[in-house]
Amino acid sequence: MNMANQTSDNNICQPRSEQHRIVVTGMGIVTTIGETSDEYFDAVVAGQSGITPWQDKDSRLYSKFGGDMSGFNFDAHIERVGKAYPSDWIKRSRKLSRSASLSGRLVAAAAMQAFSKAELHNVKLNSERFGHVLGGNNLGNSYTFENILEFEDEPDFMAPLYGLVALDTDVLAVSSEILGLKGPSFTVGGACASSNLALLSGLDLIRSGRADAVLVSGGTMELSPVWLQGWTLIDAISFRSFNGEPTQASRPFDKRREGFVPSEGAGVVVLESLASAQARGVHIYAELLGASSTSNASRLTKPGLDGQIRAMSCALQDARICPDQVDYINAHATSTPLGDASEVAAIKQVFGAHAYQIPVNSTKSILGHCLTASSMVEMITTILQMNHSLVHPTINLEEPDPELDLDFVPHQAREHKIDFALSNSFGFGGLNSSVVLGAIN
Amino acid sequence: MNRSEIFTVLKSNMTAIIDGVEGVEINETNSMVNDFGADSLEVVEVISRTQRQLRIKVPRTKLSQVSNIKELIDLFEKAAS
Repeated sequence: MNMANQTSDNNICQPRSEQHRIVVTGMGIVTTIGETSDEYFDAVVAGQSGITPWQDKDSRLYSKFGGDMSGFNFDAHIERVGKAYPSDWIKRSRKLSRSASLSGRLVAAAAMQAFSKAELHNVKLNSERFGHVLGGNNLGNSYTFENILEFEDEPDFMAPLYGLVALDTDVLAVSSEILGLKGPSFTVGGACASSNLALLSGLDLIRSGRADAVLVSGGTMELSPVWLQGWTLIDAISFRSFNGEPTQASRPFDKRREGFVPSEGAGVVVLESLASAQARGVHIYAELLGASSTSNASRLTKPGLDGQIRAMSCALQDARICPDQVDYINAHATSTPLGDASEVAAIKQVFGAHAYQIPVNSTKSILGHCLTASSMVEMITTILQMNHSLVHPTINLEEPDPELDLDFVPHQAREHKIDFALSNSFGFGGLNSSVVLGAIN
Repeated sequence: MNRSEIFTVLKSNMTAIIDGVEGVEINETNSMVNDFGADSLEVVEVISRTQRQLRIKVPRTKLSQVSNIKELIDLFEKAAS
């Protein structure tokens, strides 16, 4: 196995020096099952599915259900959860959100939560040293689709700011303007691995000294009918067996799994150096110990076992953590026949007998697949579980696939102390990325 | 559609989109940029939304020659007739 990302000093399993320790000081999340981290965690621990029939999609679609946030009301959200936000945030966000895409509004809502949790509305950091990395590409799909229909009807009446808002960078810029972030900023596209790759970029920006802090956003890939039909044609999503019972469609590791269930949502975290967080005296939710990026060198949707193994191994090496120290895995686990089997095989290769001793759950069994935002949502889910010493269930695991025999935490949440966690994400284009988190004691 | 109806829709969009216009009296002699500090995107939004609501089409080349609200309403009125 070629360890492309292996650190050069062979200092494996030794902690990094203090100046290279990066921590999470703020988190925000907006999903179908909760619009704050508290609401979300209660629902995910209860195993409350966020999958429903589509609210307003073309009836000709084979796809009939998913995680639908098209009805998200930004102003009502801010009214409900943003009472402590500074008035200048609220003023700017109301103005910017009016013309923003759904993705821009969801990320802005999560970003304001994360900034507020990090107490950055009280204590200012140098804005020119505060970066923003947005994970996600091809985000504003519903916005684009609606404008194409409008164009067909009358070109002069399409959205006046389309030429700006349809870009992924607008999703980044809306939050950057609300929060005044002027440091290194860019989007990172890696399909369903986007958010883990954005975390890797944020980590590197701080480790390299280019930034003191970075807001890392997981951008929503809006679910337009064209995308839903496209995934149907390549047989990637569930559309055959569960139209009458959509909450049962996302069933990772189960014998009847038939494809992923697409979903909308967003998550955002604040990363900063341990020294900065300690100097500010703010609460630290977790340490981001390491991250990785590998490729299968293949455009096929078929998962790449070697690429997945290398992603996990390289992230552990970057984190200076040995496999036996990991006590929880948030699996990519999309509920596809090949994907779940490949990931379990990869986990067994990396962790050996230890793989059987740790919980490996699937957040997607509950939320569906939040695509470009999924690994940010799952990183936040991992931190919340770490902070509460409680792992959420994998739901719908009624008849486990006999080939898949790890501890998937079926049906019920369980108390479990987590010191070191691994979270996987794998994307179309043969992209693999893992992140490793550590508890702060 | 008469001039007064066009002005009413235009004022409503200016109030909603341009910062600081709410509660301020708007006259036909005003300019969105010079009198209310509107930026270029806000002007585009106000004009496009007004056109769409009123289902009026005005060529972009003519819109760029407008210097105040009166001239804009003149254009809309002509296009609507």
